[in-house]
Amino acid sequence: MTAAAHILALPLAHIGHWLWVFYLIPVLIVVGGIIHTTRADKRRKKDGRGH
Amino acid sequence: MSFLPYVPFAHALVAKQDLPIPAWLFAWAASIVLIVSFFALSAAWRKPKFEDERWRPAAGWLPTALLSPALQVLCGALGVFLLGVAAYSGIHGTEAPDRNFAITFLFVTAWLGFPFFSAFLGDIFRFFNPWRAIGRVAGGGFRLIAGQRAAHLRYPDRLGRWPAAVGLLAFVWLEVVYGSSGGVSVGLDPHAAGVAALVYSAYTLAMMALFGVEEWCRRGETFAVFFGMFAQLAPFGVRDGRIGRRRPLAAATHWATVPGSAAVVLASIATTSFDGAQDGALKAAIQNTMEAAEKIGLSPLDALRWTDTAYLLVTFAGVAIIYALGVRGMRSVPGAPPYKTLFRGFAHTLIPIALAYLVAHYFSLFVYQEQAQFTYLLSDPLGTATTDLFGTAEAGIDFKLLSPNLIWYVQVASLVAGHVLGLTLAHDRALVYWKDYRRASRSQYWMLAVMVAFTCFGLYLLSVGNG
Repeated sequence: MTAAAHILALPLAHIGHWLWVFYLIPVLIVVGGIIHTTRADKRRKKDGRGH
Repeated sequence: MSFLPYVPFAHALVAKQDLPIPAWLFAWAASIVLIVSFFALSAAWRKPKFEDERWRPAAGWLPTALLSPALQVLCGALGVFLLGVAAYSGIHGTEAPDRNFAITFLFVTAWLGFPFFSAFLGDIFRFFNPWRAIGRVAGGGFRLIAGQRAAHLRYPDRLGRWPAAVGLLAFVWLEVVYGSSGGVSVGLDPHAAGVAALVYSAYTLAMMALFGVEEWCRRGETFAVFFGMFAQLAPFGVRDGRIGRRRPLAAATHWATVPGSAAVVLASIATTSFDGAQDGALKAAIQNTMEAAEKIGLSPLDALRWTDTAYLLVTFAGVAIIYALGVRGMRSVPGAPPYKTLFRGFAHTLIPIALAYLVAHYFSLFVYQEQAQFTYLLSDPLGTATTDLFGTAEAGIDFKLLSPNLIWYVQVASLVAGHVLGLTLAHDRALVYWKDYRRASRSQYWMLAVMVAFTCFGLYLLSVGNG
């Protein structure tokens, strides 16, 4: 590898160990969505009862 | 040189596949498919459809011929003969696992073949079950000599399918923990497999003598329960001694009412996951734990087995916890039945997922090993190069039969299809528990999370395993 290539090398040697994060994101989105809608639902009901 | 940055990947990050998009994007796509399916079910599926099997007897001569005593005797005898060949070749054949009939026959042909075919054709193992065949002959002999039916103990209801769940874990433990020597598809020593087959036969026949052949096959016999579980998905079934057609998947809705059924299906998913993760996602963790175990004085082999055993149980616990969390979430929806009812009531929704995991993880192994099974392993069962029964002892496995991309697409397709079917079954069951379809749909948010988690987890395991 030339010196220029060394300078441009990205520190990604161990990125493979972090690929699992990409598989976790859809799960987190779904779980987050469920929690958000459930809380919003409860809040709406509470407000409805208060009036 | 190019001015593109050089990316020094330290490990084998580049998968064997030459996929047009990264593997993790398939997990995103699969999640979107599940979410779209979920909303489609919520909008269009407002009454339970699977509770009634709609079983109707099949017409024609074939169903009668299939249940004829002559064919049952023939199938049973074939089952006993093949079990005998497997046990004999395991004990007296070569020690090379890939050249011995026993290993491929027990752990690939039977173990993977019956679930695949049962899911489409129904409970075919019932006809080939060697222990059932021996038990029935012994029972018939007893009746003939004693002039009365053998008296059996009453099978404890609470025990349910727990013996089968434990047996399932033990069988996979034997294959992937005790036999994890690496290098070949199943690394178990054939001698150990042969002895295990005989020990299991003795145990099963003793249990059949105690509780009755059919009772033990329904609840305790590991293979009958495991293969029978997948048969619940099939559009064919036997009722009152007659073969009939039924709505696909519908029989599964009543399968999990017996205690321990949830454990069987969870054990199936967990053991397949562990087998996939052992040399991939969990490899580094297992290595580190094993080194720690060696430091406290265990031999390398003991350290490996104890570590693998611990991780197998952890995987089982992890899969059970994901499912339990989904059930716990459902419990929070007003009008929900008790937790125990929900836990048991939704367990059958995991059967298509268990099948999907089996297909995804072992489809290529099955295709490759069956070439060996029906060529050189059949001609030379002992693997000693002294027999060539069918003239195929010199044949080999064509590893080019499946391209890496094809394997990957089958894996993704089976996982997505299995989870969509699981989601459908769960939605249908929710409509039974919650009469208001809006509440039923809301309860299923949690099952959607479980399904997305299992899909992404499965694809992650496969992507690491393929890498």
